[in-house]
Amino acid sequence: MRQNGFLLALPTIAWLVVFFVLPLVIVLVVSFMSRGRGGVAELPFTPAHYERAFGIFSIILWRSIGLAGLTTVVCLVVGYPLAFFISTRRRRLVQQIALFLVILPFWTNFLIRTYAWRILLGEQGTINGLLLSLGMIDEPLTMLNTQFAVLVGLVYGFLPFMVLPIYASVERFNFRYVDAANDLGANDVRTFMRVVLPLTLPGVLAGCALVFIPSVGAFVTPDLLGGTKGLMIGNLINNQFGGSGNMPLGSALSIVMMAVVMLSLLVYVFANRRDAGA
Amino acid sequence: MTTFDVELKDIVKEFESGGGRVRAVDHVSVQIEDGEFFALLGPSGCGKTTTLRLIAGFEQPTAGRILIRGRAMEGIPAYHRPVNTVFQDYALFPHLTVEQNIMFGLQMEGVHKREARKLAAEALEKVRLPGVGRRKPHQLSGGQQQRVALARALVKQPAVLLLDEPLGALDLKLRKNMQFELKALQRDVGITFIYVTHDQEEAITMADRIAVMNDGVMLQVGTPKEIYERPGTHFIADFIGETNFIPATLKSREPMGFGQVELLDGTHICAALSNTLAATRGPVTVAIRPERIGIAAKGTAQAAGEETALDAILVDSQYIGTDTRYTLRIADSVDLVARVQNVDDRKADAFAIGQSVTLYWHPSSTTVLDH
Repeated sequence: MRQNGFLLALPTIAWLVVFFVLPLVIVLVVSFMSRGRGGVAELPFTPAHYERAFGIFSIILWRSIGLAGLTTVVCLVVGYPLAFFISTRRRRLVQQIALFLVILPFWTNFLIRTYAWRILLGEQGTINGLLLSLGMIDEPLTMLNTQFAVLVGLVYGFLPFMVLPIYASVERFNFRYVDAANDLGANDVRTFMRVVLPLTLPGVLAGCALVFIPSVGAFVTPDLLGGTKGLMIGNLINNQFGGSGNMPLGSALSIVMMAVVMLSLLVYVFANRRDAGA
Repeated sequence: MTTFDVELKDIVKEFESGGGRVRAVDHVSVQIEDGEFFALLGPSGCGKTTTLRLIAGFEQPTAGRILIRGRAMEGIPAYHRPVNTVFQDYALFPHLTVEQNIMFGLQMEGVHKREARKLAAEALEKVRLPGVGRRKPHQLSGGQQQRVALARALVKQPAVLLLDEPLGALDLKLRKNMQFELKALQRDVGITFIYVTHDQEEAITMADRIAVMNDGVMLQVGTPKEIYERPGTHFIADFIGETNFIPATLKSREPMGFGQVELLDGTHICAALSNTLAATRGPVTVAIRPERIGIAAKGTAQAAGEETALDAILVDSQYIGTDTRYTLRIADSVDLVARVQNVDDRKADAFAIGQSVTLYWHPSSTTVLDH
């Protein structure tokens, strides 16, 4: 039986080796090579790209981590109450409609939805137009091509990934525990902090991982909404592989970004285990 | 004026349900005394748990008032009420240890951690479960979880402890043991217990007083003896223990709570009237418990003095160990069940099926109920 099980997994393993492990090794090797003509890799080996990644590009690296972190926090603050609201509706139909609305944006191409934000946030955009006509501002606000615009775009794009796992957690939560906590003298805030939040933490952690990881590597959103001020590591990597780029540098940046993702996953696993064990 | 520990004044609770309104609790008024073991008894859906949740503060009454120790509870949230609850499924916090569960309520009161830990250990001693403080609830058996739930509530020293079918999830033997323990514990701590159960035997063995509920209405409140011996309604007589119901016609009321009734075959007998009997004449039901019916071979003059005697034919007998159950036909379509204790060998099969016998009982063993 054990061997049969291995056979069943073989296609997947083969796929992963050919299309994941092997490319990863190639990227790792390339990241230590020199830049040749037209941006391709050539010998000799050199750590120079990593020095640049942690040197002049560290500001973009930190900006990516910061924006992804902020995106995660905003998604959590907005998404938790929403998920809580949806999963506590008595009628199943209301829940299903609400969940449908949460994932409805996925029906439109992500690129188009991000372009829509350009129209909303631009100098002559919808928001500025509205504020000007209401007399609330005298000059249009600069929102497009800022980190703020990137944050808005990322939160908009990844909010469903926060809502869905939290919804699943709250759905499973037994509200008898709220009665019990109230009964023992805990007011609503303390009941939430001591009972509801710890017991729905798996959903919160999963949501944070699902939002943070793709946010760190995002490049469409910062490309369209961030301009030069909102450049993120994803854009940097993207640039190295196009036209007259620098493949070894792009590889080194990719490895660094992967390390950030792996670190955040480690935090996730550690937090989950502590939650389950303590 | 006496103040009661818990006083319900004309409580109504309605729930929205699919467009309509369902009345779960219907004009319930009751007064529960300090230190009393009070059982709310009824079938599932009768409103007993809702009543408990109203007292706990998890639900707000649609109308009526709740007083705890003389203090009106309107607008006072569950976390400020001097009551604690033992939930049916215990509701122990799964992410906390047993000790942390018990300390939870104390910490909400601002008790210092060290002091709370000491009190938690004492509470575990009290429910005879020392040394499990560091475990998680799921590592304990159902009976142990039940004790932890009890300790968690008692450590708060509430004025009133509310128990919602606390033994419902335990197996029969454990349940019997816990009944005695709970009763002993209640005497020991002297706290008023309000105990919700659908198990009539549990209510009768444990409670000082029982309130029987059905369809949101509190039908009768009384001691277990009153409830069992003088059920107020057909429903109660049927719900609690086994009862024979004999259709009859009330002919006249007599002093001392007795009356003359006529059975279907025209026989007149004397029977005790229920306190709440509305009818003064006309169709009624006579209730009598199987163990109150005596059987004698026809012609042997067992029925003495004021006892009622009726002729019957034995149609079936069933040996059930401690007792023998006889089915006896008194009129064409009226069968009674009688239980006779098998106190000596010869009695168990003393009567043959088809034999004519005489049934006898004291009039006070009967209760005349509204039809």
